[in-house]
Amino acid sequence: MHEPFVLDINPELDLVLDRVVPVPLDYVWMAWTTADHLKKFFVPRPWEIADIELDVRPGGIFRTTMRSPEGQEFPNAGCYLEVLPKRRLTWTSGLQAGFRPSPPDPAGFHFTAILSLYPQGESTRYQAIALHTRPEDRVAHEDMGFEHGWGTVVDQMVELYGK
Amino acid sequence: MPNQSASLDSLLKALADPTRRAVVERLALGPAAMSELARPFDMALPSFLQHLKVLEASGLVDSQKTGRVRTYRLKTEALAPVETWLSRQRRLWETRLDQFDAYIVNLKGIQKDA
Repeated sequence: MHEPFVLDINPELDLVLDRVVPVPLDYVWMAWTTADHLKKFFVPRPWEIADIELDVRPGGIFRTTMRSPEGQEFPNAGCYLEVLPKRRLTWTSGLQAGFRPSPPDPAGFHFTAILSLYPQGESTRYQAIALHTRPEDRVAHEDMGFEHGWGTVVDQMVELYGK
Repeated sequence: MPNQSASLDSLLKALADPTRRAVVERLALGPAAMSELARPFDMALPSFLQHLKVLEASGLVDSQKTGRVRTYRLKTEALAPVETWLSRQRRLWETRLDQFDAYIVNLKGIQKDA
């Protein structure tokens, strides 16, 4: 059995959300792994899930079609990377079903999402992490001496200029 | 959500180089002539000009020629896509989890009553 991978979170690029719901862990797991449940909360309203396909096992498809209020549809597909029942669910847009690498995203950003569940009596603490592509991964080796993240520069500029 | 523009991509690429970041940091203090920008760098002028071209193409800076002097300026509005992209991702996840919390609490209530 291998040790869990230690995540390298970059606060300029990644998101970490930590919450507690007053609902037992079984419910939380079920809602995130069942298409009929997931489609009820997965996209911000008034957007909707027009179509969904979940094959909850490593390499299984995670596909949703989002529909805008104007009726325009946006398909998204990826696959599950890790399924530890009632503990952790990991999926990505960077690989398609069967682990086939995804085509480049038009904006250059794929994500990996990691949902971890922790029982707390009758409640559940859950943590959602979204990892994004590092911009420096997309430039050639010229930048091996990368000193500080681009976020630092952005922060400094925002500070200097206000919003 | 539907995805972002190529402009964000070129903006991040522009910021991912130490020379270009140094130029941006210098321009954050105010406009500067090309010769002044090049001075701190031990680099052939054509190579340095290439960096300026990348910055200009990304929309992060622009330049104006007066007589024989080309002056560069930071375009503050260019950073908007970066902020927009990050804040959009955060908003997506926060809304998703808000909706999840409400949905799951409601679902538990329904199943208990049944």
